[in-house]
Amino acid sequence: MSSASDTSQQDLGDQVRAAVDRTIARSIKGLDFVISGDPDVGLTPKDIIYERGTLRLYHYHPMADEVYRVPVLLVMATTNRSYVFDLAPGQSMVEYLLREGFDVFVIDWEKPGPEERHLDLDDYTFDFIPTCIRRVAERTGEPDISLIGYCMGGVLSLIYAAGQGDGPLKNLVCLTTPVNWHEMGLMRRWTDPRHFDVDRIVDTLGVVPTEFILAGFTMLRPAQRTAGRIRAWDNMWNDAYVRSYRSFDRWSNETIPLAGEYFRTTMRDLMWGNKLHDGGLRVAGRNIDLANIKVPVMHAIAEHDHIVPLTASRPLLERVGSTDKKEMILKGGHVSLIAGPNAVRRMWPAVSNWLAERSI
Amino acid sequence: MSKQDASNDPFDPLRKFVDDMEKRIDGVANKVMGTDGFSQAMNQTQTLSLKLQQGFQGAMAAHLKNINMPSRGDVLRLAESIQALNQRMARMELLLEDVARNTGSGPTAARSGPPRTRKPPSQRTAAGTGAGALT
Repeated sequence: MSSASDTSQQDLGDQVRAAVDRTIARSIKGLDFVISGDPDVGLTPKDIIYERGTLRLYHYHPMADEVYRVPVLLVMATTNRSYVFDLAPGQSMVEYLLREGFDVFVIDWEKPGPEERHLDLDDYTFDFIPTCIRRVAERTGEPDISLIGYCMGGVLSLIYAAGQGDGPLKNLVCLTTPVNWHEMGLMRRWTDPRHFDVDRIVDTLGVVPTEFILAGFTMLRPAQRTAGRIRAWDNMWNDAYVRSYRSFDRWSNETIPLAGEYFRTTMRDLMWGNKLHDGGLRVAGRNIDLANIKVPVMHAIAEHDHIVPLTASRPLLERVGSTDKKEMILKGGHVSLIAGPNAVRRMWPAVSNWLAERSI
Repeated sequence: MSKQDASNDPFDPLRKFVDDMEKRIDGVANKVMGTDGFSQAMNQTQTLSLKLQQGFQGAMAAHLKNINMPSRGDVLRLAESIQALNQRMARMELLLEDVARNTGSGPTAARSGPPRTRKPPSQRTAAGTGAGALT
């Protein structure tokens, strides 16, 4: 009895000590949190091998002494920066793929200038992507390529894949990519054509500003930011947590404006017309039918994605014409799918293994 | 932190409170913001703001014209001309590369880097060929 009571008192003492230590650490590190700048991101060595207006193409330095024949090109969503693929050493999909022996290229987007307001879906899908694929082919000497598209980058990759004909695409990986836009939840309600005047927005603003895009994302989860800050303070003693929090926070705040015409077409043809899902989409004079996609396709989906709900992304596999296709549903949300703990444990290895078998 | 630690942690009630509040606020807000009325009100506010902006842009353009200064539209048109030239250059560059490739007269890019012979794990032999060490 006395021994049990002693142990219990000791446990309580340890807990109080740990709580005091963390409180002190919170105060010390909290000061550092306030005065230090944003964490460095995108540290994996790379070269910019092509740039034109909003478009950037990176080639990452290989990390293996023997690589797969087919290079990999990641296509970032048009609303955000690509360093979410390369947040920090150990928290980087790019670094993982490099270590697994892939030759990795990434399409990134800079803020489009006002003179780029006329860029349309045509430019992104049948100018920017083919141009980058060409540059990759020149750099590697390989005619084939695998595309990995994240969110809207997945949509661009799908449209390219459906319209490329006998192009160089060998494999397609989509990460939480919306196909049935009528299932886009609140986003669809807010852009209801009865109230949402896309023409006025585009004609007045030219380029749809960051604040507009960011407000849309924030309103989906209005309490998330405040709750995130409280959790960051609670975990202030934990350097890894704070670093990860700050990297994600920096990334989500660094939203990119959208070229007006691209925004208008996305609204009319995808959000309102749902043409990627129902058919009838024409881009750059081509009929875009997902059934025309015959290359192997893999789709990784987040179970609790509040931006692209499961019901919006799941129809992809049934719509494509490929016989070799795979779907993977992971716990987590829209961003944790590509850079969260489940991505590190499950998604990256699954994508790497799937691609490896098809990259020789 | 282990579950055992968490159960006695003095900050645990605060964590639970934050989790609950986040869920509750998001739930209520999503319900309100999912209504037709909210969507209509939000877009009316936005339209008003855009109309004001349009009016201001028009007035400013007229003022700049009066004082013989280029307006935003004039600068934009100039930037668009430069962008069109850039695009034309990019297309010409691609065409020239095609011509060079077809005639065999273009400089061949030096393709450095590791050999592209890696095999997937399922095809690697017991001797370990194709595994590729990290550099």
